[in-house]
Amino acid sequence: MTETGEISRFAARFFKEVFKPPYEFRELLRQSYEIGWNSLPLVGLTGFIMGLVLTLQTRPTLVEFGAESWMPSMVGIAIIREIGPVITALICAGRVGSSIGAELGSMKVTEQIDAMEVSGTNPFKYLVITRVVAATLMLPLLVIMADAVALFGSYLVENLKGAVSFELYFSQVFEFLNFGDVIPSITKSFFFGFAIGLIGCYKGYFSKKGTEGVGKAANTAVVVTSVLVFILDFIAVLVADIFYEL
Amino acid sequence: MKNTTLKNIKLGAFVTVGIALFIVAIYLIGNEKNMFGDTFELNALFGNVNGLQSGNNVRFSGINVGTVEEVIITNDSTIEVRMIIESDVRKYIKKDAIASIGSDGLMGNMLVNISPGNGNRPPVENNDYILSYSRIKTDDILNTLSMTNENAALLVSDLLKITQNINEGKGTFGALLVDTVLTAALRQTILQLNNAAYNTEQISDNLIKTTEKLNEDEGLLGALIGDRGLTKKLDTIMENLTNTSDYLTATSSKLETFIDHLEDGEGVVSMVVHDTVFVNDLKQTVANINEGSARFNENMEALKHNFLFRRYFKRQAKKQNKKFK
Repeated sequence: MTETGEISRFAARFFKEVFKPPYEFRELLRQSYEIGWNSLPLVGLTGFIMGLVLTLQTRPTLVEFGAESWMPSMVGIAIIREIGPVITALICAGRVGSSIGAELGSMKVTEQIDAMEVSGTNPFKYLVITRVVAATLMLPLLVIMADAVALFGSYLVENLKGAVSFELYFSQVFEFLNFGDVIPSITKSFFFGFAIGLIGCYKGYFSKKGTEGVGKAANTAVVVTSVLVFILDFIAVLVADIFYEL
Repeated sequence: MKNTTLKNIKLGAFVTVGIALFIVAIYLIGNEKNMFGDTFELNALFGNVNGLQSGNNVRFSGINVGTVEEVIITNDSTIEVRMIIESDVRKYIKKDAIASIGSDGLMGNMLVNISPGNGNRPPVENNDYILSYSRIKTDDILNTLSMTNENAALLVSDLLKITQNINEGKGTFGALLVDTVLTAALRQTILQLNNAAYNTEQISDNLIKTTEKLNEDEGLLGALIGDRGLTKKLDTIMENLTNTSDYLTATSSKLETFIDHLEDGEGVVSMVVHDTVFVNDLKQTVANINEGSARFNENMEALKHNFLFRRYFKRQAKKQNKKFK
C-alpha cells in the first residue's frame, strides 16, 4: 500500500515535470531507439509465433465446425484486441522494465544520480521522464508492429493449410474489425508503455544500496509491471465496454 | 555523431512504419464501414430486426454495399433501420427494392439484404424509405423442423416395417431377395430376354440390309419398287386378269342357268340325266343296233362270196392295193 502511494507520488512528479522545459530531446530519441527499435526483433518474433500458434491451435476446431472462413476475423480480433497489446507489453516489461530498473538502479548504487544532482542536471528529467515518455510512445508502435507481424504469421498458416489469398484474408480481418477494437487497443498500449517506463524508473530510482538492490530493482520492476499490465488491461476492457458498447 | 544519426534514421523509419500501419488499418476499417467513400442514406421499417445492430453489413443481391447506421424504435410495432450505402450502387437500387433481415450463415452476424426491385422504377433517392419484410423467426424454423422431424420418424418406422417384411421374404420384393427359385427363374428370364434382344438385333440388322437392297433396286421387290417398266407390264397383266375374270363370271352365270335348266328336267340332256326308263330304252336300242350291225356284217360277208357280187369286190380290192403301192 505504501509502495502504491510512493508510485503515485512518483507519477505525480513525472506529470509535474514532463511539460516543464528544458526538454531532453536527444536523450528521448536515444531512449526511444533503445526501447522501440531494439525491442522490435523480439516483439516481432514473438508476435509472428503468436500468430502462427493461434491459427494452428484454433484451426482444427473451426474446421470441425465448418467455420474455417471465420478464422481471419477471429484471429484478427483476438490479436488486435488482446494478444498483441498484452504480449508486447509483457515482452517489454521483461526486456525494457528490467533494463530501466537495472540501469537506474546501478546508477543509484554508483551514486551517479547524486552526482548529476550536484552538477546541476535534473536527474529526474534526464533519466526518468525521457525513459517513461519513450516507453509510452514506443509501446503502441511496437504493438502495431506486433499485430501486423502476427496477422502475417496467421495468414501464412491459413494460406498453407487453406489456400486463402492475401487480399481475401486481410479483407476478412478488417471486415469484422471496428474502431472499437483498434482504438482501445492502441490507447491501452500507451498506458502499458507508461506503466513499464514508470515502474522501471521507480524501482531503479529508489533501489537500495548494493548490487543486490540493483538485481532486486530489475526483478521487482518486471514483476510489478507484468501484474500492472494485466490490471490495466482489465480496466481498459471495462472502459472500452462503456465507450464502445462492445 | 554518425552513430546517433543512424540510430535516429532507424528510429524515424520505425516510427513512420508504425504510424503508417496504424493509418492503413484505420483506413481499411473505415472503408469497410463506408466512412470515406461517397455514400447516401436509405431507410427501411421493420416489425422485428432480429438483433440487428448498427455496424452490421447491408447487402444488395449478396454484395456488401453498406452498413447499418442506426436502429431506432419509432413506435411499439415499428423499428426504423437507417443504412449508409455506397453512392455507386444507388442507380441499381430501385424504389420498389425490398429490404429484409438475414444472417451471415447459420451462426453469423445479422445483416440487411436488399433485393432488387422491378427495373422499370426509378432509382432510390437519398433518405428514401424502401419496402421491407420481416424474415422468418428462428422459432418458426424450429417448429417446422420439429414437424419435419416427426414426419421423418414416421417414415423411418414405416421403412423399418417394410425392411422387416422384405427380410422375412414377404411380398414381391421379399420374394425377390429371399426366394432362390424365383431368383433362378428371374435369371433365366433375363437370359431369355437377353437372347430375345440379341435376336431382335439380328432381325434389325437383316431389316437394315434388306432395306438397303430394296433401296438399291436389287431383287424382285426392289425391281417392283424401283422399275417403272415392270410396273406398267404388271398393270397390263392385272387389267387382262380383270377382263378374264369378268368373262369367267359371265360364263359361270351361263353355266349356272344351264345347270338350272338341267335340274328343271328341260331338254334331251336333262331327260338322259333324269328319266331312267328312257335311259334303259336307249341302252336296249343301242344293244339292238349293235346286234343288227353284227348281222349286217355277216350279210355283207355272204355277199362278198356270192357269185353275183364277187367280181365287184375283187375289183375294189385291186384298186385299194394299187393306191397303197
